Amino acid sequence: MASNVLLEFSDVVKRYGETTVVDRINFTVAPGEFFTLLGPSGCGKTTTLRLLAGLETPDAGEITLQGRTLAAPARDIMVPIDKRNMGMVFQSYAIWPHLTVFENVAFPLRVRGESKASIKKRVLDALEVVGLSGYENRGSTELSGGQQQRVALARAIVYTPALLLLDEPLSNLDVKLREQMRVELHTLHKRLNLAVVYVTHDQSEALALSDRIAVVNQGKLEQVGSPAEVYEHPRTRFVGDFLGRTIILKGTMHKDAGRSVVDVQGAGRVTVDGDAAFGEGTGVRILSRPEDIALLPPGELAPNQVVGKIEHVAYMGDHLEYTIEAAGRTLVLPAHKRDNYPIGTAVRIAFDPAHVTALPQ
Amino acid sequence: MSTITAPAPSSFLPKLRGYRLAELFVLLFFCIVMALPILFMLVGSFNTAAPGQTASYGVDNWVRAFSDPQTLKSLWMSFLFSVVRLIPSLALSVIVAWLIARTDMPGGNTVEFLCWFAYFVPDFPLTLAWILLLDPHFGFLNMAAQYLPFVSGPLFNPYSFWGIVWVHLGTGGIWLNVMLLTPVFRRLGASLEEAARVSGANTFTTLWRITFPVLSPMIIAIAVLSFIKGLESFNTELLLGLPARIYVYGTRIYDYLRQEPPAYGEATALGSVFLLVLFVLAFFYRSYLQGKKKFTVVTGQGYSTLRVKLGKWRYVAIGGFAAWFIIMMILPLTFLVIGSFMRRYGFFNISHPFTLSHWQNLLGDPLFIGSLQNSLIIASTVAILGILLYSIVGYLLASRKLMAPALLEFFCWLPWVIPGILMSLGLLWIFLATPLRSVLYGTVWGIALALTIHDSPVSTQAFKSAFLQLGPDLEEAARVSGASWRYTYTRILLPLVGPVAATVGMLNFGSALTSISTPVLLYSAESRPLSILLLEYSFTGEIERAAALGLLITLIICFMMLIGRAFGLRLTGPSREEAKPRAE
Repeated sequence: MASNVLLEFSDVVKRYGETTVVDRINFTVAPGEFFTLLGPSGCGKTTTLRLLAGLETPDAGEITLQGRTLAAPARDIMVPIDKRNMGMVFQSYAIWPHLTVFENVAFPLRVRGESKASIKKRVLDALEVVGLSGYENRGSTELSGGQQQRVALARAIVYTPALLLLDEPLSNLDVKLREQMRVELHTLHKRLNLAVVYVTHDQSEALALSDRIAVVNQGKLEQVGSPAEVYEHPRTRFVGDFLGRTIILKGTMHKDAGRSVVDVQGAGRVTVDGDAAFGEGTGVRILSRPEDIALLPPGELAPNQVVGKIEHVAYMGDHLEYTIEAAGRTLVLPAHKRDNYPIGTAVRIAFDPAHVTALPQ
Repeated sequence: MSTITAPAPSSFLPKLRGYRLAELFVLLFFCIVMALPILFMLVGSFNTAAPGQTASYGVDNWVRAFSDPQTLKSLWMSFLFSVVRLIPSLALSVIVAWLIARTDMPGGNTVEFLCWFAYFVPDFPLTLAWILLLDPHFGFLNMAAQYLPFVSGPLFNPYSFWGIVWVHLGTGGIWLNVMLLTPVFRRLGASLEEAARVSGANTFTTLWRITFPVLSPMIIAIAVLSFIKGLESFNTELLLGLPARIYVYGTRIYDYLRQEPPAYGEATALGSVFLLVLFVLAFFYRSYLQGKKKFTVVTGQGYSTLRVKLGKWRYVAIGGFAAWFIIMMILPLTFLVIGSFMRRYGFFNISHPFTLSHWQNLLGDPLFIGSLQNSLIIASTVAILGILLYSIVGYLLASRKLMAPALLEFFCWLPWVIPGILMSLGLLWIFLATPLRSVLYGTVWGIALALTIHDSPVSTQAFKSAFLQLGPDLEEAARVSGASWRYTYTRILLPLVGPVAATVGMLNFGSALTSISTPVLLYSAESRPLSILLLEYSFTGEIERAAALGLLITLIICFMMLIGRAFGLRLTGPSREEAKPRAE
C-alpha cells in the first residue's frame, strides 16, 4: 500500500478566524492518478488545493508527498512554496502579461538554473504537448482564453512536477471550448502519467475525467470513490444531490427472504440490492437517478413499482417532464413524448434495484 | 404588436436638450477661462507693449528673455530638480507601498494613515521649518553640530540645490505616491505572484522578475505624473532658491513680474516655452501609454492572502519608516512650534527665551484679520463653485451622451500640466484686457476663479467615477418610477454622490488655503490671502511670526482633513485612487 501512495493528506484543518474552512480532511493520491475534489463554491476544495501548493498554512494535520513531509504544524514543518516541486494551473491562468509565451513557460526552468539549450528544448516540447507549437514568440496577452490555458498548462508541466494541481481550469472557457479541453486534458493525463489533483464544481467534468472523486461539503469530505461509485451509490444525501438530480422517497425497511425491501408508505415496495445494514422496521430513504426510473401506464403494481398521480406536465421540446405526487412527496420525472398521460393519471413508477440506494432517514 | 403604442419620442427631448445646453455652457466656460488665457499668453509674448497699451508685435520679448542665461538655466534647473527628486522619491514610495500592501510589516494601516496625513501638511510651512533647522546662522542642527568634533562652520545649507531636494523628500508628492501605489500593489492579481512561487521562484525572484515588471506601466505612469508635478514646484524653490539665486522657471516668472515695471513680455515668453515643453512631454507620454496598453490592466481575481514574511526584517522596515516619518515630518513640525514661541529664534541661551508675543502680534495684526477673511471667502467660494461646476462636468462625462467628450476631458486635464503660476499669468491678461477687470483683477473673486480652475482634474475625475459607479440603472430606475429629472438629481444622485462632493469640497478648500503660486500674481492689498501673508512674513525676516502663521495654517488643514476622514473622506475610493491632489 505504502508504495502506492504518492500524496497523503491526513487530518488537515484550516481555519480563518472562527470558520473552519477545511475540517479534518483525509485522502491519498496514487502515482498517475487523476484525483478530483468536487464541491460547491466555498466548500473548501480550493483551500485544500492551496494547502497542497503551500499557498496556505494548515492549522493541524500533515501533508506528505513522496514520503517527504510538506507541512506538519504540530512538528513545525512548513516547506516553502517554491521548494515543493508542484505544477499548478490557476483558475485565472495567471499568465504573466509582461512575458512572451516562451518566457512564461521557461520561467520555472530559469529559476531552477537550467542551461539555455535545455530550457529551449523543454519549453518547445511542453508547448508541443499542449498544442501551441509556433506560438512561442507571441505576447501572452494576445492569446485567447483557451490558448492562455494551454500556456498555463505548459508552464505547469515543463519541469515534470511531482504533482499537477489544477484549480477549476475549465471554468473560464465557453461551453464548446470547455468540452474540447476536457478531452485534451484527459488525453494529456494519460500521456504524461502525472498524478493530478483537480478542483471543480462541475460534476460532469469530475465524472468524465477522474479516476477517483472526493466530494467536499462545508469543509468536510463526504465521500471518496470512483465516478461510478459516487454517482450510483452516493453515501449521503448531499453527494446524491450534488452529482445530479435524484429521486428520493421515504419508506420502512423490511427483510424478505434475506433481501432488503423498502415499503414506500403503502404506495409500493422497492427492493434494494447490496446494503443490508438497516434493521427490520427502520425508517429509510431510497434514492435513485431519474434516468434509472421508468414511467409505466396505470395497471397492477408489480414489485419495485410505486404508484403516483400526475399533477402537472411541462413540455420541454424533446421530452416531457411530469410532476408526480407519490407517497406524500413531489417528484419531477422526465418521460418520452410517446408516454403522454393526462393530468390526474395514476401512473406506476418503476425502480431498478441495481440503481437504488438506501440512506438512513 | 400593433396595439402597443410607441412611446412618444418627444418625451426624451427635453432631457437631451438639457445635456446639449449644459455641455455647450461648460465648454464655453472652459474656453474662456483656459483656452483663452493660454492663447493670450502666447500672443502676449509677442506683444512688446505693456498691458493696456496699444499692442505692437515683435520678437523682442523672446530675444530679451533668452539672451539672459538665467532664463535658460532656470528651465534646466526645473528639469534637473524634478529628475533628481524623482529617483529617491519614487524608490521610497514604491518600497513603502509594497511594504504596506504585500508584506507582514506590522502597523501597515497606521503607516498608510500617516502617509495620508503627511500628504495634507502644506509644503510652505514645512520648508520654513527646515530653515529653522538648517539655516547656516540660526539653524538648530547647525548649532548642535558645532559640538561635534572636527566641525567648524555650518554643516548644512538649505539654500542650495541639495537643500531643496532634501526638503522635497518630505513634502506632498512623495506621500501622494505612496497613496497612489498602495492600491496598485494591492490590486495586483494574487495568482500572478503565486504562480511564480509555485513555479519555484523565491520571494525575491518573484518580486524582481514578476511583481515589479508587471506593475512597471503603472509605476512609470505615476513617475511621469510626479515628474510633471515636480516641474511645477514653486514654494520650496521660492523660499530656499531665491537667497541662493537658484531659479526654476516658476520663480523666474515670479521674478520677472516683481520687477518695476513688471516684465510681462519676458514672463510670457518663458511661460510659452515651458508650455511647449509640457505639451511635447505629454505627447510622448500618451504615445508611450498607448504602446503599453496591452498590459496595463493586470488586476486579477483574488485578494492575496499571501503576504511576504519579512521575519526579523519587518522591524527594520517599520523602524525605517518611523525614522523617515520622524525626520521628515515630526522634527520640522516640532521646530515650527518651538520657533513660534521663541523670543528670537536660535537664541536658546538667553534668560527668557520663550514668549507668546509672536502669537499675540499675529492674531492682533489687522493684516492677519483681513487676510484670514479673504482666505475664508476664497476657499469657501472655491469649494462651493468646484462642487457645483465639476459635479455637472463629471455627470456629463459619465452620461456618455456628449457631442465632444474628448474635448471636455482635455480641458479638465489641462490644469494638471499647466502650473498654477502659468495659469495665473494667462488669467492676468484676461482680467486686465477685458471688461471683467473691475470684478476680477486683484479681487478675491479673481483668485477664487483661478483656484477653482486649477482644481478641475481631481474634482472632475472624482465626480465622474462616482457617477460611473452609480451606473445608469439607478438613475433610470428612478426616472422609470416616475420621478422628474430634478427630483432624481436632488433625491437620488446627489445623496449618493454626497460623500464625493464633501471630499472634493474639502480638498479644494484646503488647496485654496495653502496655494501660493496661483494667487501670487493675482492678489492685491485688498485681496491678500493668508498664504501670501505667510510668504511676506518669511521674506521680511519675521521668521517667528511666519512660523506661527505657518503652524496655524497647518493646524487648520490637518484638523479639517481629520474631521473629513471621520465623515468618510476615506471611503471615497475614486478621489483617492485616481487622482492627486492639492494645488502646487
